[in-house]
Amino acid sequence: MTINTFVAGKGLLYRFDPRAKLLSVLLLCIWFFLPVSLVGLYTVVGLLVLLGAINTGFSHIAKTFLSILPMLLFMVLFMPFNVRDGESLVTIGSFTLITAEGLEQAVRLAGRFIGITYACTLLFATTVMQEVMLALRAFHLPYKAGLVVTLAFTYIPFIAESFSQIAESHSLREAESEQGKRIFQRLKDLVPTLTSALVFALRSIPNLAMSLELRGFGREQKRTSYKDLSSYRHPFTHILLSCIMLVVFWALFRVR
Amino acid sequence: MGPSPSGSTSSLAKSRVSMQKALSITNLSFTYHSYGENVCDSIFEGLSLEVEAGSKTLLLAPFDKGKTTLAKIICGVCPKYFPGTLEGNLKVFGNDLSAVEPWQLLSECTYVSQNPQEQFVANSVEEEVAFPLESLGLSQEEIKGRVEAALKHWGLDRLRTSSSQELSGGERKRVLLAVTEAIDARFWILDEAFDDLDQKWRDQLKELIEKGNKTILVLASRYLAEFDKLFDQVLLLDGKKVVSPVRKELLCRFSQLCQDDLANPLDSQVCAPPVMRQLVCTDLVAERRRMSTLEEASFKVHVPHFTLQSGELVTLVGPNGSGKSSFSRILCGLDGYLGGSIQVDGSALSGKELSKKVGYLFQNPDLQIFLPTVQDELSWSLRRRRDLKSEEIRRKVEHCADLFGLSLSDTPATMSYPLRKALQAAVYYLLERPFYILDELDSALTYHTALSIIRDLRQNGAGILLITHDKQFAKRVEQRTYSIEKGRLCAL
Repeated sequence: MTINTFVAGKGLLYRFDPRAKLLSVLLLCIWFFLPVSLVGLYTVVGLLVLLGAINTGFSHIAKTFLSILPMLLFMVLFMPFNVRDGESLVTIGSFTLITAEGLEQAVRLAGRFIGITYACTLLFATTVMQEVMLALRAFHLPYKAGLVVTLAFTYIPFIAESFSQIAESHSLREAESEQGKRIFQRLKDLVPTLTSALVFALRSIPNLAMSLELRGFGREQKRTSYKDLSSYRHPFTHILLSCIMLVVFWALFRVR
Repeated sequence: MGPSPSGSTSSLAKSRVSMQKALSITNLSFTYHSYGENVCDSIFEGLSLEVEAGSKTLLLAPFDKGKTTLAKIICGVCPKYFPGTLEGNLKVFGNDLSAVEPWQLLSECTYVSQNPQEQFVANSVEEEVAFPLESLGLSQEEIKGRVEAALKHWGLDRLRTSSSQELSGGERKRVLLAVTEAIDARFWILDEAFDDLDQKWRDQLKELIEKGNKTILVLASRYLAEFDKLFDQVLLLDGKKVVSPVRKELLCRFSQLCQDDLANPLDSQVCAPPVMRQLVCTDLVAERRRMSTLEEASFKVHVPHFTLQSGELVTLVGPNGSGKSSFSRILCGLDGYLGGSIQVDGSALSGKELSKKVGYLFQNPDLQIFLPTVQDELSWSLRRRRDLKSEEIRRKVEHCADLFGLSLSDTPATMSYPLRKALQAAVYYLLERPFYILDELDSALTYHTALSIIRDLRQNGAGILLITHDKQFAKRVEQRTYSIEKGRLCAL
């Protein structure tokens, strides 16, 4: 049940120290919730996407955005209806449907969601999982906790992969006379696809537990490591560079 | 690493080893826990088995008779993760299994699963091989040495950063064999290890079994010609026990259990398609790339000419990773192509249109069945057709269930593997596709069951493309054969 999220490449991000990348992602996640202007938020998101395009290519960006699109649409479409404060933009009779405040919050939420999701995706697309693990251990996270974190990050794409495989197989089962499906039918079809993807994912748990133990996970002996991070020569420079960039962005885009 | 020369062990060590039992099972009984109303039947009753250290044992059993369960019990993970009631005594190299945890057996015994996908724990091939070596606490130098040797020996060095989902079935099996070789445990349990491997890698595995100094237990559901003279003892799992009659009787009984003595269901079938339809691929070109490695150039599929007609039974053979699945995915419209054409009855088709003409039965049936009951599964596609009334749907579903030996009230999740495979085929039978691709249908099914499924699917005159590694099975069905190597398809 392990899915590799790594996309092979030789760009700048691949040479960037995994410890610095991990720290940058954590700091970015915090940065997105700081009081920054909307323009600033989207500038940073744009730079992040540009960095991704240079390193992993446009097809990877497209794939990432397609996978988060349903959730993104859901948030952006429903958020404006939840916020009632501010200047009204759309009204039906005396009922205010969308306010300027609601719209602004929806756009900000979308920016944060895209930024955080893409920063995490980029970390796992440009760093092999064992180096993510080594970076976590460098920050004194115990091995077992590190394994849980990395497994969790591969489990989500595993469910997504199972979902797409099952959706493919369902599309192969459409009747010959069946024409283009209506939205209601598509939504209805999602239920069994989602259910079987989840059942498939849940059934894989005992297999994973079995395989981990058969591969010696649980032994009292101290684990050694096949890889180390010694090939990354300038961890502190990279960490410093990441921190400086985020501080500069904060100084430039904070709400005054 | 690799097969150790038998002469390398000193005679003293050999005699000490030969006195020890690698595996000792006495009066084993096992029954899986049941979660529904039906009580599960026991898998083993009073099973006893002894395997001498350093010996090579072949344990034959028909599909679904408990081979994998036995392997998991020996490794200590069943009933721990697959609940059931276990009785009896089990010892691996003198260690009582009731007192040891699976991870404590890492340097003693290694298990290669029939389904390699379920055993992957790491995210890339090299990490997979390195993972157990890290658990053993070996030095980084030692780990690197063993990983390199194992990857090279199993032809995986170019795939070292690839992840399991990017590998073919045969490549996955080779990864598990590389892991087994790298761990270098004393006792290897190989569950259908020859499945999925092409001839080159089968020969290598044979050599490893023959010349290595390991204790080997191979669990197999087919007696392959290559097993001859490879094993010190050949046993049979029959009637929930392990028996050891003389070889001739054993093979005869095994053949009966596998229904190989029955007539080929295809022999009596007269396939007369009501309408002759034709699928033609011309100059088809497609490209695939493994995302997680830079070491391999993109993989190209090239099909100069391919035809399949109604009623035909065509086999597709080729080594691991040669492009069989890539071609199948293009043919059923799941993947696109760069050049050439796919025509059905003279009309060029692609994507959705193609998927409604060509049914593709995945190797893993669990990806294609997803509803609570057999009745729901069979009627799912029919209920989406506007031209069918409910009475007609009911009649079709009942007829289909009858044909494939299914019970409409059964729950697919709790059905045996052959029945799930039959259900998968039944679903496609009802779709009445003019063409079907059957991906490794014979894997984990008896020849008779697989041939019966083919017969049933051909009842409506469908043309069938069968992908298989098993030459014996191919011989029983083939009318024409295509071969694919390095992505290039040609008629044989």
